[in-house]
Amino acid sequence: MLGTWPCSSCLLAGRGLPASPAPAVGGHMQSWRRKSLWLALSASWLLLVLLGGFSLLRLALPPRPLPRAPQGWPRWLDADLLQSFSQPGELPEDAAQPPRVPHGGSCNWGSCFDTSKCRGDGLKVFVYPAAGPISETHRKILASIEGSRFHTFSPAGACLLLLLSLDAQTGECSSMPLQWNRGRNHLVLRLHPAPCPRTFQLGQAMVAEASPTVDSFRAGFDVALPFLPEAHPLRGGAPGQLRQHSPQPRIALLALEEERGGWRTAGTNSSACSWDGRCEQDPGPGQDLPVYLFRTQRWEMLPNATFCLISGHRPQAASRFLQALQAGCIPVLLSPRWELPFSEVIDWTKAAIVADERLLLQVLAALQEMSPAKVLALRQQTQFLWDAYFSSVEKVIHTTLEVIQDRIFGTSAHPSLLWNSPPGALLALSTFSTSPQDFPFYYLQQGSRPEGRFSALIWVGASDQPPLKLIQAVAGSQHCAQILVLWSNERPLPSRWTETAVPLTVIDGRRKVSDRFFPYSTIRTDAILSLDAHSSLSTSEVDFAFVVWQSFPERMVGFLTSSHFWDEAHGGWGYTAERTNEFSMVLTMAAFYHRYYHTLFTHSLPKALRTLADEAPTCVDVLMNFLVAAVTKLPPIKVPYGKQRQEAAPLVPGGPEPGPKLQAPDPNCINQIAAAFGQMPLRSSHLRLDPVLFKDPVSVQRKKYRSLEKP
Amino acid sequence: ASTFSLLRCQKSCSLWKMEECEEEAVCVIMCASVKYNIRGPALIPRMKTKHRIYYITLFSIVLLGLIATGMFQFWPHSIESSNDWNVEKRSVRDVPVVRLPADSPIPERGDLSCRMHTCFDVYRCGFNPKNKIKVYIYALKKYVDDFGVPVSNTISREYNELLTAISDSDYYTDDINRACLFVPSIDVLNQNTLRIKETAQALAQLSRWDRGTNHLLFNMLPGGPPDYNTALDVPRDRALLAGGGFSTWTYRQGYDVSIPVYSPLSAEVDLPEKGPGPRRYFLLSSQVGLHPEYREDVEALQVKHGESVLVLDKCTNLSEGVLSVRKRCHKHQVFDYPQVLQEATFCVVLRGARLGQAVLSDVLQAGCVPVVIADSYILPFSEVLDWKRASVVVPEEKMSDVYSILQSIPQRQIEEMQRQARWFWEAYFQSIKAIALATLQIINDRIYPYAAISYEEWNDPPAVKWGSVSNPLFLPLIPPQSQGFTAIVLTYDRVESLFRVITEVSKVPSLSKLLVVWNNQNKNPPEDSLWPKIRVPLKVVRTAENKLSNRFFPYDEIETEAVLAIDDDIIMLTSDELQFGYEVWREFPDRLVGYPGRLHLWDHEMNKWKYESEWTNEVSMVLTGAAFYHKYFNYLYTYKMPGDIKNWVDAHMNCEDIAMNFLVANVTGKAVIKVTPRKKFKCPECTAIDGLSLDQTHMVERSECINKFASVFGTMPLKVVEHRADPVLYKDDFPEKLKSFPNIGSL
Repeated sequence: MLGTWPCSSCLLAGRGLPASPAPAVGGHMQSWRRKSLWLALSASWLLLVLLGGFSLLRLALPPRPLPRAPQGWPRWLDADLLQSFSQPGELPEDAAQPPRVPHGGSCNWGSCFDTSKCRGDGLKVFVYPAAGPISETHRKILASIEGSRFHTFSPAGACLLLLLSLDAQTGECSSMPLQWNRGRNHLVLRLHPAPCPRTFQLGQAMVAEASPTVDSFRAGFDVALPFLPEAHPLRGGAPGQLRQHSPQPRIALLALEEERGGWRTAGTNSSACSWDGRCEQDPGPGQDLPVYLFRTQRWEMLPNATFCLISGHRPQAASRFLQALQAGCIPVLLSPRWELPFSEVIDWTKAAIVADERLLLQVLAALQEMSPAKVLALRQQTQFLWDAYFSSVEKVIHTTLEVIQDRIFGTSAHPSLLWNSPPGALLALSTFSTSPQDFPFYYLQQGSRPEGRFSALIWVGASDQPPLKLIQAVAGSQHCAQILVLWSNERPLPSRWTETAVPLTVIDGRRKVSDRFFPYSTIRTDAILSLDAHSSLSTSEVDFAFVVWQSFPERMVGFLTSSHFWDEAHGGWGYTAERTNEFSMVLTMAAFYHRYYHTLFTHSLPKALRTLADEAPTCVDVLMNFLVAAVTKLPPIKVPYGKQRQEAAPLVPGGPEPGPKLQAPDPNCINQIAAAFGQMPLRSSHLRLDPVLFKDPVSVQRKKYRSLEKP
Repeated sequence: ASTFSLLRCQKSCSLWKMEECEEEAVCVIMCASVKYNIRGPALIPRMKTKHRIYYITLFSIVLLGLIATGMFQFWPHSIESSNDWNVEKRSVRDVPVVRLPADSPIPERGDLSCRMHTCFDVYRCGFNPKNKIKVYIYALKKYVDDFGVPVSNTISREYNELLTAISDSDYYTDDINRACLFVPSIDVLNQNTLRIKETAQALAQLSRWDRGTNHLLFNMLPGGPPDYNTALDVPRDRALLAGGGFSTWTYRQGYDVSIPVYSPLSAEVDLPEKGPGPRRYFLLSSQVGLHPEYREDVEALQVKHGESVLVLDKCTNLSEGVLSVRKRCHKHQVFDYPQVLQEATFCVVLRGARLGQAVLSDVLQAGCVPVVIADSYILPFSEVLDWKRASVVVPEEKMSDVYSILQSIPQRQIEEMQRQARWFWEAYFQSIKAIALATLQIINDRIYPYAAISYEEWNDPPAVKWGSVSNPLFLPLIPPQSQGFTAIVLTYDRVESLFRVITEVSKVPSLSKLLVVWNNQNKNPPEDSLWPKIRVPLKVVRTAENKLSNRFFPYDEIETEAVLAIDDDIIMLTSDELQFGYEVWREFPDRLVGYPGRLHLWDHEMNKWKYESEWTNEVSMVLTGAAFYHKYFNYLYTYKMPGDIKNWVDAHMNCEDIAMNFLVANVTGKAVIKVTPRKKFKCPECTAIDGLSLDQTHMVERSECINKFASVFGTMPLKVVEHRADPVLYKDDFPEKLKSFPNIGSL
């Protein structure tokens, strides 16, 4: 049938042939015709036999010996007639008894934790004081918890009672505490694996311990801690060791953790055994990993490698896990028998590879073929996680409490994104918002952007005059939404203020410097321009700085700068406000920043630090800069500031016009703050952001911010 | 002549049908025969009658044979597959019957301590290519006991759908020896419809049972009266269980998979998506057959909060023929179910006798945020789905506080939850197929974790995936200065100018290596001795083809993260300017940091993008004739450039810099940084080039590039900023010799 189509066309072609044979004449023609007929016939027969024969053969032979499509699940003729697995009428039994909570045995969050005590203020923690003499570490940890926002001194008002079970070496094993109540709402915190014999039944208490085994771990109830080395720093801690985003070319692909300590590299050309490791040609027997696949080399310290292979059998290997994390060496865990730290909230698939040790060859092949994009992402995530949750004992404890607080908060807990992208849940407070798009550091990721307006917050200190001129200049900005005056002056509030185009609110402050950074509910914009009453700015300076801030909403954008330095002579940090080629802080007497930092300043800083700022007002700048730098890990941004005022600004100590109170702060201040942070978060910058045509040899008429260039 | 016409015929045939040679041959023959048939009347009467009959018979045989062969050849598939056809199109009632002796072995009960590394034989999955597990499905059989009484219903509609979905997926294999996971065709979706002991015996006699290793059972309704276990009661030894209604006591974390209870309404009722926002009722309870204690609790809520809470129950007085499943009543008011769910912001999902409830699926479908009140319930796919984003879990003892708990959630979060709820339903609940594939994906990800699907891929609705940017260099980090940068000079044959550039660039302190990309295939680079002597290694890379994209190739020779792309005619940048550029890059390692800046503008008259190189107050691009950037962007440019942009650029020999600007802005969402004041980028010997770049046609071409790239990217990724970077003390009244970078902006 199908054949007729082409053939009708060949008929036409045949007819149209000029050389088509004329009607037959004569015997000669007949024989010719007969011959050709025979020829055609035999050809057709041949074809018939060939084609038909093949088909017959195909039919006769057993079906398809070689490749074939897989035979799937049959399509049943009566598929439509099949009954549903559940008939609607079949569920009357759903009216059953309420469930029984299995008693004894294991606990879960719903059955063994009473959240009714935790309403209102969130998590309040009472820590049992140690019974006998305590070690230095124990004392420091106690102090650290007591300084945190979670702490309460009353066991009755606490929602969580924390039992520290720390240094067993000293023979100090806690005994049953007074408020035990079968362990309800208790958390037993064991930083190091328990050498302490259990002196009492844990009952309904939660356990936070290092690398719990998967079998004993009660998911959603217990908390898995990292396996911390003995000498883990209490505060701050060493930053991640990664100095660059992508792996250096030609570093080893793999470092293998060894049972007797040390590491072994493999993978790339590690033939040069010059680094501080010694060469070992023969790996020797008794390896639990097939390192014989590679030429290997032993190291005492963690070498530079892209992946670190860690066996999952021994809990001790968990300390290697942390070591790899800090080094930015992507941990490859082979069938871990222990729960990964904070697995309840941390998405470990973004920073590590948990693989089956039985498929080692496939794993190794996969590592070799892993795309640069994935390696890049994994490496960076190790560093972020290390810095955010693991680098110090204090961070580990705060993370533990934050995990429990999230369980209590339920719907207002940190979303997963806040836990798993920088700066992490300890610095992105869920009390501010649970939507990532409200935080300045997630704007880009979320595809959102800050509002196009700002609020000016003017601090009027003890000796300041009402800043009428400043108000006019700021109100002149097209981006200004409101002006708030924080009256911290002993004098009574002036009754009249200048007329401005934007709403002006006066807040009667409590005469404390830390009030400057209180999250006032009257601040309705994302951006805050923090000002002192005696600051002087022009409208176009404000405009330009705000436009720059919109590009860097997570940083501080300021006009006046200062920098920190290490003072060898005093063995401490120093501080200078002199004009130098670099800076690490901007002064909050004139700076833009996100209002989130007010919340962070007020709710996350230890009380001691805020008191320090109140007592030494010049410290508050340093403190705020430390805080923002700890979050962003980046320097602030400087924008141009009018020349004549810069000279007039009494920044330089001993300058011609001594300012009312702007002396460089006491160096004690920066050192105290650095001690409280446990590290130096400040970063230096070498650049200033100017308008694109700033001081360019082009007509001033073309320039948008021309008044910035006026002498 | 006949042969000739035959040839012609063949030709025209082959023009018509080119697919198969047999077909063509048949066509040729048919042509021939038809032709002779037509000629026949003139030909045949002249022959002798004997011959005539003989010929006609012969012809008809040949013709018939040919037609038969042709048919055979033309429908090979239907003829061959008719074999399978006969096999496949069977009735479920006709499947082979297997008799289970009463004393045949029973598997052990099921080991609560099973984990992937103890109970799962991963070696079976070792040779699966593309990191995809292979799943085998046992053939359907009917199991009867010694008395011929069936063990269970042979198969339910849903289980048949489930097996069909697996069979149609990439996971399926019919080769039992290559399979890594085995799915029995014994239907255990509903425990009530089967005899437990006999079903277990049926499982035990499967050909690869081996204590249930690597066997996957699907069960949605576990347990039975009176105590309703939360996992399937059928003894199953080590088999994995994909179960609906697990509790924390029965769920083996990381081994079992918690699946939804499929709601048949998903397929029956089409509920169009309803936009998020406040709805008529704040809280709705739609379940029938609630335990009286719970019903009291929810009715107490209604009494307390009035209109905003609606509690529905079974209808008692429905007229004949009305489907009671699809109606709910409150007092005498009748509501359509599940449509009524769309009227509520929150919907209660209470435990029944079983923890898993089909109503969860209905609630999600309606975009109503489920309020799950079922202590210890393991929510469906909780291993990968973040239920915090789509639901509210309230402990049973807090039931009286539900209303205040829900009211404390901000409206914006509620709307996000509504969207998320609907997305979960669309992606993982709406069909048996979705449930089956999500289950297999979870198991697959456990076995090949390095190829696993990420949290975002599981949880982010498509709109979020589209709108969010994930910067590949997200870690805030200032690389150490000591690392330095690699300068890459793209050159064709301007040797003299090239040497000057090399000499200039080599003065920059942080330069660590210089790479010359020799893009001229017709000419050899100058001899080694002729090159300028510089303090850093200099390497010449010869390319196979004169392509602009060679400039952005991730050469192995690049050992630093920072790359300076520089044209072979850029000799006017001072060493201070280049060093400062590198310092700026260190502070912004994820951006393009360059010298000449450009801008894109929207041309309202032409309704398209326009390229601008004038003195503007804004920048959105920097030229890569002199720019620092991260080496990773070379990798992206070479291997991950969207669409045909890379080839397009190579073909047009233009706009590689605009393409790079698009690429970087698109993956990072950030703007470029222009450094230092504007300079006249002119070199003495390349006025012609500069003349060209001022040329109108050049501008038109560049504008075209922007429009082309914007259409390929589907968006305009470039960001406009009003700032540039200068040294801190630039043009300040400050002693020049104390400045770090004094020589900036000089011409």
